[in-house]
Amino acid sequence: MIELTGEGSTRTCDGMTRRDFLQVGTLGAIGLTLSQMEALKAAGAVDKDKSERSVIMIFNLGAPSQLDTFDMKPDAPLEIRGPFKPIQTTTPGIQISDMLPLHAKHADKFSLVRSCYHTAAAVHDTGHQMMQTGRLFAGGLNTPHAGCATAYLRGRRTDLPAHIVLPEPMGRTGGLLPHGQDAGFLGKAYDPLNLNADPSKPEFKVPDLLPPAEIGEARLERRRKLRGVVEETVDRFEASESAKLVDSNFQSAFRLMTSPEARAAFDLSKEPKKVRERYGMNRFGQCCLLARRLVEAGVRFVTVNTFITVFDEITWDIHGSLPFTSIEGMREIVAPMYDQAYSALIEDLVDRGMLDDTLVANLAEFGRTPKVNPAGGRDHWPQCWTIYFAGGGVQGGRVVGRSDEIAAYPVERPVEPAEVVATIYKSLGLDLETTLPGPQGRPFPLVDYGVHEIRELF
Amino acid sequence: MPGGGRDRRASCGPALSFVFMAKLLLVAPAVRGEEVVLLPEEFSLHGPASKQRLLVERVRDGSYVGQVEDGIHVVSSDPHVVRVEKKEGGLVALPVGNGEAQLTVKVGGKTATAAVIVSNHQDSVSWTFRNHVVSVMAKTGCNSGACHGAVAGKNGFRLSLRGYDPHGDFNALTRHASSRRVIPSDPGRSLLLLKPTGALPHKGGVRFSPDSLDYRVVSEWIAAGMPPPRDEDPRIERLEIIPAHVVLDPGARQQLLVRAHFSDGHLEDVTHWAKYTATNTSVAEVDDQGQLSITGHGEGAVSAWYLSHIVVATLTVPYPLDLSQETFTRAERRNFIDQLVLEKLESLNLPPSPQATDSEFLRRAFMDTIGVLPTVEETRSFLLERKADKRDRLIESLLERPEFVDYWTYKWSDLLLVRGRLGPEAMWAYANWIRDAVSANTPWDEMVRSLVTATGSTFENGAANFFDLHDDPYDMAETTSVAFLGMSINCARCHNHPMEKWTNNQYYGFVNLFARVRAKVDSTGNRIVFNATSGDVIQPLTGRPQAPRPLDAEPLDIHAPEDRRLYLATWLTSPENPYFARSITNRVWANFLGVGLVEKVDDLRRTNPSSNEKLLTAAARFLIEQDFNLKALMRAILQSKTYQASSRPLPGNLEDRRFYSRFYPRRLMAEVLLDAISRVTGAPSEFPGYPPSWRALQIPDPAVASYFLESFGRPKREITCACERSAEPSMAQVLHLTNGDTINKKVAAKGNHIERLLATKASDEKIIEELYLRALCRYPKPPEKKKLLEILSETRKSASGETSSGEERRLATEDLYWSVLTSKEFLFNH
Repeated sequence: MIELTGEGSTRTCDGMTRRDFLQVGTLGAIGLTLSQMEALKAAGAVDKDKSERSVIMIFNLGAPSQLDTFDMKPDAPLEIRGPFKPIQTTTPGIQISDMLPLHAKHADKFSLVRSCYHTAAAVHDTGHQMMQTGRLFAGGLNTPHAGCATAYLRGRRTDLPAHIVLPEPMGRTGGLLPHGQDAGFLGKAYDPLNLNADPSKPEFKVPDLLPPAEIGEARLERRRKLRGVVEETVDRFEASESAKLVDSNFQSAFRLMTSPEARAAFDLSKEPKKVRERYGMNRFGQCCLLARRLVEAGVRFVTVNTFITVFDEITWDIHGSLPFTSIEGMREIVAPMYDQAYSALIEDLVDRGMLDDTLVANLAEFGRTPKVNPAGGRDHWPQCWTIYFAGGGVQGGRVVGRSDEIAAYPVERPVEPAEVVATIYKSLGLDLETTLPGPQGRPFPLVDYGVHEIRELF
Repeated sequence: MPGGGRDRRASCGPALSFVFMAKLLLVAPAVRGEEVVLLPEEFSLHGPASKQRLLVERVRDGSYVGQVEDGIHVVSSDPHVVRVEKKEGGLVALPVGNGEAQLTVKVGGKTATAAVIVSNHQDSVSWTFRNHVVSVMAKTGCNSGACHGAVAGKNGFRLSLRGYDPHGDFNALTRHASSRRVIPSDPGRSLLLLKPTGALPHKGGVRFSPDSLDYRVVSEWIAAGMPPPRDEDPRIERLEIIPAHVVLDPGARQQLLVRAHFSDGHLEDVTHWAKYTATNTSVAEVDDQGQLSITGHGEGAVSAWYLSHIVVATLTVPYPLDLSQETFTRAERRNFIDQLVLEKLESLNLPPSPQATDSEFLRRAFMDTIGVLPTVEETRSFLLERKADKRDRLIESLLERPEFVDYWTYKWSDLLLVRGRLGPEAMWAYANWIRDAVSANTPWDEMVRSLVTATGSTFENGAANFFDLHDDPYDMAETTSVAFLGMSINCARCHNHPMEKWTNNQYYGFVNLFARVRAKVDSTGNRIVFNATSGDVIQPLTGRPQAPRPLDAEPLDIHAPEDRRLYLATWLTSPENPYFARSITNRVWANFLGVGLVEKVDDLRRTNPSSNEKLLTAAARFLIEQDFNLKALMRAILQSKTYQASSRPLPGNLEDRRFYSRFYPRRLMAEVLLDAISRVTGAPSEFPGYPPSWRALQIPDPAVASYFLESFGRPKREITCACERSAEPSMAQVLHLTNGDTINKKVAAKGNHIERLLATKASDEKIIEELYLRALCRYPKPPEKKKLLEILSETRKSASGETSSGEERRLATEDLYWSVLTSKEFLFNH
């Protein structure tokens, strides 16, 4: 066991602060240069496989009904079990909804957690916070998204940012609270890059990734030099977080712009038409494809928002009345799109030998009421719902936890949001006892003391 | 151990007293110039089960500065009336018999006293459901949102959230589930006691133990025959926290005491039952028994909640700097703002930065007051001007400029949600109504009265759109509260507000004020807002309408036919309404200083205290005295030395983000930034459907397509919340500045300022100076100019390639403009 302590950051040649924290022994976080990291790996002190792993977090904004997807209750009364029928999957003993036939073919690769619950207010936003950061925001403390904490602890692997959100950050979901899809107290420097574009559009390109054609290398260089002079004369911004952020954004942006590999990663036209169609020529499908390309190109964490808002969009939020979605809307539009893209992603990752190193975590902010409401829909229900994981060390074909006879409460192995986030960190090989720099530099635990990953998955 | 050994025997004498053994050899030293007090200094013990926790607190310069825990010696003047015990880790006064007595505490050679009255000691102990049993449920978390207080309850047992409905809870406990939750003949076998003590399996875990006060309250209440909540129960009237303000150092600990004042005049120590929340955990944290621990410098607050009442204690942790008294006495003061800001800085030991230069002030005042850059001529003449009152005169001229009307119309359009979805006629009517009010400098109270009581055609009376936007009474009530009181009351829709004093009843009373606002549509799509003569909103808890009532005002007769909004408007805009003036004052302040006195500006909760309460109170009072003339408030802010401070930090105030020891640089708001880029390049932006010369700040519809405005955080105006606008820099913004078609197109545009400047055959030196004055409102410094000239001449050689020198000069100038327009000095107001 090696024990090291020291300053937690190193400066790279482009002036960016890169923090490659490694957990060695039990003492806490240390920062090493890349070559040190390689040396440690060679010495076997670091689990090489896990530190190279990536995550694709698919966030099912709106929140699917556990009863209509992965936790069927065919023996319950009609107003509980709803209109869908269970079908057998490739894994004996696991049945899921007939709405998701392509999922059923991959049940040997993913594992379900049927006992996730939370205890905060039943609004979308609280669940977004907890499932993505592991905590509910309180006391003015906004905790970082797991992808941002990963970006902080591991740094970027290539010229691409460590964490990218597709297709854009979560929008309005009614609670008017933050969604936990940024770096929180870690500061904006660790915020994800938000794509802010729809990759299924024919004219899709990353907004402003490249300078206009007429500005060549020589002019770019001149601009950088001139700007350097204008910037260096002013000294009043040293205490401004916002100004520091502009600086770090400029550095990251220049890096991204000037890297051919980074640009190529976003170029979906490099994919055969057949592959694109296999994922589905819609926003979510193409986001899943783009997520695979980005992970291939070295991005550590990709968050895909299945939907952006629950208002005036057909989503998982099946209250049954406008501006929300009906059960029919879910059956006809949401489920086929989702089923196709997910199965394509899993097959593609398997074919490319990437699944072992890529955790695909399908999460949601809560479940839905066991009883169908008068509008024929289901309302918010944080007391019990199903999430699932594939790859990244997770063994497929398992079911963790069990809900009661109407999928209202967990009766076995209740799982809290903090454990979900811990599972993601664990898959990435991060030590759960690591600390992050909290407000005013106080050490802030990555997960609270006593919180563990869902061990049954590994 | 000087205290311990000497007095041990004496303490056993007739004058019953109590001595603590100091844990270490050190006895808390009473620093010179310090006193100690015994808190609470006066208290009463009502009934045999009453008690009062005591604090021995150090006092310096009129402030509480920390608790003494060791070496304390307490004597009761009459042990037949009151005695003191060490309990729960502190001193507790307990009743012995009716009468009056005095407690005297001696510590480190200092003495302090507290007066005690003991009454009703002969009574038998009687715990009320309303005040005691409900308190146990709240403190131990039984009725929390995570447990039985959830809307659906938990495992078939449902309580009202934090006990806002005692009658319903009484039924749930005593009648539901076949009454098996309580067994009066054998209280100990009640589920209500077996489950939370862990004697029977309980998913919520063990909540209290059989030897706790909580157990005693519940069991004795059951044994007493489970008296229901009664009309004659004493009601809580107010909550008190002791100490309400304390100055501490990092690492210090401080116990807080909470006392409830009841309608029959009796007091109860509810420290044990209050629920505590720290608002800024980077300064202080609090445990569930009200013990504070300090974690950092600055100001923090702790709120205590008990029986739907809230009280807040604030604490100051001064920065550890060695500053001379002169740092503050010598600092300049222009008006009350500076006086109160410096008072706060002194209490925190934060040094104020010196004053900003003329060019910094000029650019800042233009951007914050009218949202445009000064022209080169305006800048030159202001910098040349030598008269002492030139800043004052500039302020006066800004307040009268036509661009002032554009800027503030835009600001209030954000607040009032002017948007294209209203339809063009209504949108223009609404925007122009606001514009006319700003133009006439209509007092804020008058403007809000007109909005809140508006009726008629949304095409003709623009103000009527305020109600048309919010077409149900809930939305109207919630929006009115956020927009004009800076408070969100939404929580109280389903239950008493957990972080405010607003109750579920007050919410429905408030909503019912809007129950009769209706709109009808005519054939042209014009919506007419009118007031119906009947209709009420039902309070779901009672199944009856709640009498219309503006939050804490007197209710209105529910049968009165008049427009209820008239009554609301009078209450809302009254100088006596503490929230109204504070809210608008805070909004105006945040416009100029970047950070609200209460942050966020839509969150004037009691549990979210101001960073400078005296200043907010004084500024709000000033606005009231000025009859809600917003320009008068703006003038006072603009003239203050606080606003005119430099943004350059001193080593000692680098960490300050809340107390205005310096001006905080902030990114320009999206619309102002775009207009500034257009102004500097001389290439206006085009907005589809609007005349080509219009600036972003003149466009009423936030949906007008502009990638620039969207990525720089323009609000959508869908809900009333300042949080809709984002000022945070992002990589998307940087990519757009660098590669996007805003700056790149404008610097290359035909007939732009670069073209005109080059046509005058201006030298590079002249171009640099002109650009700096246009964009940064200052002259370039000689070394800056020299370096820029060097780069221009060097790169012209290498970059010219095949382009002719005239064309190349143009490109080089474009690059120079780009460099200034993407610099922080340009992007920021500083």
